[in-house]
Amino acid sequence: MLRHEVVVVGAGLAGQRAALAAVEAGRDVALLTKLHPLRSHSGAAQGGINAAVGAGDSVETHIFDTVKGSDYLGDQDAIEFFCREAGPTVVEMEHFGTIFSRADDGSLARRPFGGAHFPRTIYAADRTGLALLQALWERLGKEHFTLYAEWDVTSLIVRDGKLQGLVALDRTRGEFQEIAAKAVVLATGPAGRIYAKTTNAHSCTGDGIAVAYDAGAALKDMEFVQFHPTALLESSILITEGARGEGGLLKNASGERFMFRYAPNVQELASRDVVSRAIVTEVKEGRGFPGPYGGYVHLELMHLGKEKVESRLQEICDYARRFAGIDPVTEPIPVYPAQHYMMGGIGTDVHGATNVPGLFAAGEAACVSIHGANRLGGNSLLETLVFGREAGKAAAAFAATAPTPQVHDADLEGATAPLRAWSSRSDGEDPSALRAEMQRTMEECAGIYRNEAGLLEGIRRIRALRQRFANVRVVDRSTVFNLNLTDALETGHMLELAEVILVGAFARTESRGAHSRTDYPKRDDARWMRHTLARRSTDGPVLDYAPVGFTRFEPTERVY
Amino acid sequence: MVAGPISVPLEVYRYRPGVDRAPTYQRYTLDAAPHTPLLSLLLRIRAETDPTLSLRYSCRSSICGSCAMRINSRSRLACETPVGPEIERHGRIVVEPMASQPVVRDLVVDQSPFWQRYNAIEPHLKVDPRHPMPEGQPNPMTPAEVERFHDTPRCIACAACYSACPAVAADPAFPGPMALAKLYRFVVDPRDAAHQDRLVRIQTEGLWLCLRCHLCTEACPKNVRPSERIRDLKEMAIAAQGATEHGSRHAVGFKENLRTAGTLHESRLVRQTFGVAGMLGQLPQGLRIWRKKPEVLHRPKPIEGLEELEKIYDALDAQEKEGGR
Repeated sequence: MLRHEVVVVGAGLAGQRAALAAVEAGRDVALLTKLHPLRSHSGAAQGGINAAVGAGDSVETHIFDTVKGSDYLGDQDAIEFFCREAGPTVVEMEHFGTIFSRADDGSLARRPFGGAHFPRTIYAADRTGLALLQALWERLGKEHFTLYAEWDVTSLIVRDGKLQGLVALDRTRGEFQEIAAKAVVLATGPAGRIYAKTTNAHSCTGDGIAVAYDAGAALKDMEFVQFHPTALLESSILITEGARGEGGLLKNASGERFMFRYAPNVQELASRDVVSRAIVTEVKEGRGFPGPYGGYVHLELMHLGKEKVESRLQEICDYARRFAGIDPVTEPIPVYPAQHYMMGGIGTDVHGATNVPGLFAAGEAACVSIHGANRLGGNSLLETLVFGREAGKAAAAFAATAPTPQVHDADLEGATAPLRAWSSRSDGEDPSALRAEMQRTMEECAGIYRNEAGLLEGIRRIRALRQRFANVRVVDRSTVFNLNLTDALETGHMLELAEVILVGAFARTESRGAHSRTDYPKRDDARWMRHTLARRSTDGPVLDYAPVGFTRFEPTERVY
Repeated sequence: MVAGPISVPLEVYRYRPGVDRAPTYQRYTLDAAPHTPLLSLLLRIRAETDPTLSLRYSCRSSICGSCAMRINSRSRLACETPVGPEIERHGRIVVEPMASQPVVRDLVVDQSPFWQRYNAIEPHLKVDPRHPMPEGQPNPMTPAEVERFHDTPRCIACAACYSACPAVAADPAFPGPMALAKLYRFVVDPRDAAHQDRLVRIQTEGLWLCLRCHLCTEACPKNVRPSERIRDLKEMAIAAQGATEHGSRHAVGFKENLRTAGTLHESRLVRQTFGVAGMLGQLPQGLRIWRKKPEVLHRPKPIEGLEELEKIYDALDAQEKEGGR
């Protein structure tokens, strides 16, 4: 049996930052990921990281923009802490070696982003996530810790309500292993692959969120799912908000800048939920372009000039050219919204602590909540680093005084018996087929616009799929790099989370941020200015509610 | 806008070391629009016909670096290789694991040799404790200083260059294109205090084993152009330390030969590279040449038009003094 004081699961920015904090606190740390750390989805973040460091900007404004962007569901105390940490966090990453884009005077270059009153998004061309991921991995590489690369977490070991360790699958050897741990930090990112159209990587299957839920952790605000307004048609590859920040325009089929009708003050730079709904409405009402991959609108960059487009938006230039055969220097880019981000996740406090002692979470897998009902662009990279560090510190402090974890061989047996049964069936369900049906269901029933009938239908369909999943079959009997097995694991995780999203969305009879109910089109602060908490039971998720952290920003109507 | 589907015959490398006696190539034929990325087809095979096919993939948008493989013998990312042009050129698509890394299963390779070489160049900022970073402030860096990185920050560590590199295949002492491009990234970083040490060290740790074939630059999906950065490192290493290694002495001697005669004086170049004592080691090779083509060893006559060549060299020297290239 393997033993570590702190095990961090997920090695994107949040996980790596947590690991670094725990190592610096003197703990024996392991970092476990189903990829190689440099292949984490953090690396796909394009636009930038917010910090109010420019002359004329203020932390206060960043706080207000984030609170407003969250449609007043974000915890204001947490948001204040978060925004105050922004400057030091960006400086730290610069000192670690991040190669940021620079202004002529040698300072960090900044660009405007949606929902922000000031150009406060610091960037590295349009590959900010990659730049940060490289620098953090290089910094972490100087420290001593154990790396378990290409290991999948399959369950947590909890005894008497307290965390003792975890069980994971070593892909390369095809073995399940127990790891005893005094503290675990889950930083496994989102579950975007629950949806058919998503900007997320194939690896974004919510594994950490699902194992936390199984272990008794409360999931917070899972119904709030962000759809990015500008995903490349067909492939749903992300086209950064930075494209609009640099001056990109959205036009419908008659060449109209339709955002003037939806956000008269800031047009294309309204927050993401607003822009996504506008695009969907344009297409639905017949003002989009038709095509074999569905209706769409145009994102125009041509007027920015070749030099600006190719230098500041280098990656998306490549994407458009390679994946859509479109040259953004001379042609508009066909875009349509796609699932992009989960505001919800494992419920934590500002130190990453969950309701399970010893279990911590950070990054997109967690929900503090600073994003509330809608996240602003540029705040997620910041979140991974600020709360990754907090969770790592808190996990290390917890581990320093925690008793020796109690893990037995029987735990491994018990936890893996059902999974091993998948491979011994002679007949059963194909995980890929179940996954595809789930993705279709979520797209149809829990997309940008929702209503009671659709959500009920979604719940019914997902529950049926979960029943079928009980009989899932893995046909690949090889031990090494068995993707059929990991497909099944991930599909099981996502089906659980899909149900939580649907049930939360069904219960929330209002429209707030990214959660738009056509049957309840208004925000309802009296009833719904509160967080959803979902806990697992044998009959499905049990919902509970918690108050929003409130300091001084009175909710007002959100207009951009 | 969208072309109709074409038939795409695939031949995919299948191998489970320790289980299968030898690798086989499995045939699949799928219909797909020509712009479909190969990765989409491999995933369709996994979802629809054969879930046992194993490969690495994640982002499907050429940023995670997971899905590098050999596609009709070229090392590239499956997610950004459309099937149409491959079929037009080759009539089929042969899909194989990357080279120079042992196969784990099917298209999955053991990347530990690649990561070891990356780690060996000490890929992290080294700060001089006497000159700590500005407290609470970012280091200033001008856009011109950022330009000096060229496209090295775009590297996604996919290892396509490593797989394409014949020097990696031939010599375990060669760090490989990715590690050297990464080294370059630190050598031009104004925040790094170890430029000189890094350049001196790499002279004896494989820099000169590069064959200058540029296959890495051709393979790189992110335009990192490792071979050009390796060339830069060689120039910087000579500037930093002088020509101390066989490789650098050969380069300097080569230039000197061309300048004085417009052609090579082979025996002189051997002396310049290996030194007088070192020439003894080259004796068997020298004897072979002497027997077959003795004129190669003689001092060559200066070529016609040597003055023109000299003008080019003078112009280049002047340009170098100005600091441009």
